[in-house]
Amino acid sequence: MHIVHIPDGFLSLPVALLSLLISAAFLVLSVIKVRSKKLLTSEKVSILTSLSAGVFIAQMIAWPIPGGTSLHLVGGALAGIIMGPWLGIISMSLVLLVQCLIFHDGGITALGANILCMGVVAVLVGYATYRVLTRLVPNFVAGITAGWLSLTLAGTACGIILGVSWGSALPIYVMSVWHAILGVVEGVITGSVISYLHRVGSILRWE
Amino acid sequence: MISRKTFITLLILLFLSPFFGVYLADLTGYHEPLDIVAEELGLIEAEFNWTPLKDYKFPGLPDFAGYVVSGAVGLAIIIAIGYLIKHLAVVNP
Repeated sequence: MHIVHIPDGFLSLPVALLSLLISAAFLVLSVIKVRSKKLLTSEKVSILTSLSAGVFIAQMIAWPIPGGTSLHLVGGALAGIIMGPWLGIISMSLVLLVQCLIFHDGGITALGANILCMGVVAVLVGYATYRVLTRLVPNFVAGITAGWLSLTLAGTACGIILGVSWGSALPIYVMSVWHAILGVVEGVITGSVISYLHRVGSILRWE
Repeated sequence: MISRKTFITLLILLFLSPFFGVYLADLTGYHEPLDIVAEELGLIEAEFNWTPLKDYKFPGLPDFAGYVVSGAVGLAIIIAIGYLIKHLAVVNP
């Protein structure tokens, strides 16, 4: 079995609890923002559902590289760019929750850490990077950069969480370097989907 | 809710998924960055389980079919949650 999400037994108890608290705080904040900005329209729920389903299936498709690792999409940047940070966080958390509870993909004690990395860091970094860059460069380039940085920093966050758990710098190094390489694929997929959505006239609705 | 086009795309990807997730993964013995960290630090996954669908397998089905059925179950749950949100929480301005 390959380990994509953090399983049980990989985190120290204080780190597991702290990451659960932080991601729970972000989820509560997201729900508050969604309610106060009245983001949850019928149309947005359809986009939320389609995107969550798409991310779930995309994560089941991994292209293995012989002797190495695999190329696959996490989708956090895509969720943040298409739906904005708050619905993006909710969408990714929904996927991670289903993966954890139904398929044991990611440990139950590591759910907070997994949501923090892929549901919060990946979404916020992807969204912020895209928003800044889209004014300066073409959508495709902004999407590539957002996807790459999103995966790199999500992986780095996971490395920091593991490193703090066991007092070792090694996970930070391994996770950040590997994800910076794998992030190229995340970037290309993110950039392609975003520029396709722009071409077919789907507007990205942030507010 | 979900457009027909999206749904058909999802179904196609669902049926393609075991070629990657089961067949090619077994063929190449692939591992993730997290596997490398686990090896280096000697981390071992804790042995307790709460679901019959662990690792996208379905009891009684071969890995290949189990992966597709698991994917369908996951999709159905996510879409059902979408409907639930739509009926309980939607604000229509």
